[in-house]
Amino acid sequence: MAAPAALVSERLCGQLQQSITALNWSPKGDFLAIASAGGELLLLDFRAGCEELLRGDRDSSLDAIGFSADGQFLMAVGQAGGLLLWELGETGVRPLAREPIPLGAGWLDAATWQPQGLLLAVAAGRQVRLWDGAVRQWHPETLDLPGTVQALAWSQDGLQLAASCHGEVALWQPTVATPAEPPLRTAIDSAGLALSFAPSGHLLACGLMDRSLLLWPKGCRSKPWHFSGFPAKVRHLAWCDLPGRLAPLLAAAAGDTLVHWTQVNHSSKGWQPEPLLWHQQRIEAVAFAPGSTLLASAAADGTVGLWDRRGRLLQSLEAEDQGFTTLAWRPDGVHLAAGGDRGRWWLWPVAIPVRERRPSSSGSGFQ
Amino acid sequence: MVFSSPVPAAQRLPVTVLTGYLGAGKTTLLNRILTHEHGLKVAVIVNEFGEVGIDNQLVVEADEEIFEMNNGCICCTVRGDLIRIIGNLMKRRDRFDHLVIETTGLADPAPVIQTFFVDEDLRDQLRLDAVVTLVDLKHVAQHWDAEEVQEQLAFADVLVLNKVDLVNDVERQAIERRVRAINPVARLLTSQNAEVPIQELLGVEAFELERALSLDPGFLTEDHDHEHDDAVGSLALVEERPMDLEKLGCWLSDLVAEQGPDLFRMKGIIQLQGEDRRYVFQAVHMLLDGDFDRLWKPVERRRTEFVIIGRNLDQEALRAGFAACVA
Repeated sequence: MAAPAALVSERLCGQLQQSITALNWSPKGDFLAIASAGGELLLLDFRAGCEELLRGDRDSSLDAIGFSADGQFLMAVGQAGGLLLWELGETGVRPLAREPIPLGAGWLDAATWQPQGLLLAVAAGRQVRLWDGAVRQWHPETLDLPGTVQALAWSQDGLQLAASCHGEVALWQPTVATPAEPPLRTAIDSAGLALSFAPSGHLLACGLMDRSLLLWPKGCRSKPWHFSGFPAKVRHLAWCDLPGRLAPLLAAAAGDTLVHWTQVNHSSKGWQPEPLLWHQQRIEAVAFAPGSTLLASAAADGTVGLWDRRGRLLQSLEAEDQGFTTLAWRPDGVHLAAGGDRGRWWLWPVAIPVRERRPSSSGSGFQ
Repeated sequence: MVFSSPVPAAQRLPVTVLTGYLGAGKTTLLNRILTHEHGLKVAVIVNEFGEVGIDNQLVVEADEEIFEMNNGCICCTVRGDLIRIIGNLMKRRDRFDHLVIETTGLADPAPVIQTFFVDEDLRDQLRLDAVVTLVDLKHVAQHWDAEEVQEQLAFADVLVLNKVDLVNDVERQAIERRVRAINPVARLLTSQNAEVPIQELLGVEAFELERALSLDPGFLTEDHDHEHDDAVGSLALVEERPMDLEKLGCWLSDLVAEQGPDLFRMKGIIQLQGEDRRYVFQAVHMLLDGDFDRLWKPVERRRTEFVIIGRNLDQEALRAGFAACVA
């Protein structure tokens, strides 16, 4: 039998001073931003073929970074508690740093841009604030939660924003009509640590501290599915952007365990879990390659796993001397970036197998 | 539920919890810890930035936020703010060797302590070194009725009696006796301006089982001063006859099931029937941990010493329950 073709055979890498905390690609894939626990922010410009350190090691962590949907802004938040923004021009043009905006809410670790819009949601203590890139100021409305906001997620159409804390998941439509409809609030028994909207179908998944997963059907107005029995806190979630037979494929990471969830029918037990056991330590990030059912998972044991739609490990990538902390697919779906806990970053071109590019509804047949 | 983590203690970062009523000198002590030439790089979590005069990237603010897990069971009450902030801070672990957590003067120490045993992440990444409580010798008498003050004394492994320069010997001894009646096992230090040798505070390993009990030898024989009727108190039990582990285990699990919220800390060294090793034991509310320790030394007096610190303790019932565990 011939050896299966390798998905990854080359790589590019580099080094920051402290542990990599976040990676983010610009929407067109021209730029990759890399942040560290020392507050470094490195911007790689692939079209100009250069890199620029936007911020050096300040011994103060950056924890969330992101490019706005139009690629105009790069934001970063972290330990210092201010919102940092850069305005980006074309490739090869030096980004312009704006004055940091203090929020007075301590260490910031969750902020995310609206898809197809210019609103940036920032978790500031018990409040979600929106910075509006169109007018370059704060949106007048805020979303207040009963506890510290632990996770944020936008729906793919940019209309709904979900936020979770200990005791509540709130769903808000900040851009829809005035007077705005009040946020939809659902009580939960634990703390919501991860939130993710399915790219189609509007399902919302929430990973909880009590080792369970909540999954709301479309619109989030009816009772959620509740799946318990995970070995650890459900910390990371990822949806496949290809439609499934019913719902798209969902991946959930809890401790060293990765679980594929597939919806098989509409009943209360209509989801089937498939545990993917291979990592030896905590999984720190999971993401499906855009336009594909290929899943990447990065773990503290220094391994990245590449999994097919049936949960088979196709290839593993190793960091050798450090644990992985994060990963991010380039929007083209064929480049994977990852960061390590000793400051190393990697970039791999990935040859996605053809069978992972088809929606699973289009006749997966007798595989 | 036990205290142990699958990760060896040496690989976990030591954490000191610093408590004390308002004005007891916590900030002075924190500044001392941050400036002291002790060679340790210490990260500090404070509840208010402004108080610490030192500009340091390893001083981080956290707002007390209680997470009740499992339907409000008291032993599963943890501090959600610490889980989040320490999770962020641990990404910078190579930058510090020790973590100190300052609690507000009004905070209940139990959820802080429990966080390090109950939370899956913190349990495997950190180990609780000791609870250090500062006592304001000059003013403590005025606050004595505050529940927080008594709880902070009860949970302490190290008690620093601060502002010794502001009281005379008679006053100090009276407070010492009263403190000892609540907590007979903590190490007592006195200080002026919170000047305490740092090695007496950091690296104490009070939660390591082999250090479970360092009972003030005088305590067991001393005639206690019963002039104060504090809600929080302690009971020291001594038994010369060997005990039965199974009976003891049943008694303790029933005890914590019924009275867990009122039992703050328990520590003990047990002499077991037909066993040449010491059995050591400790508990925080309903979290129990016990294990065999070293052999009894030939010169050592083999006997069981057991201390219970709690609220509204029914001394008679506890003595009877304990006595029934003799082998």
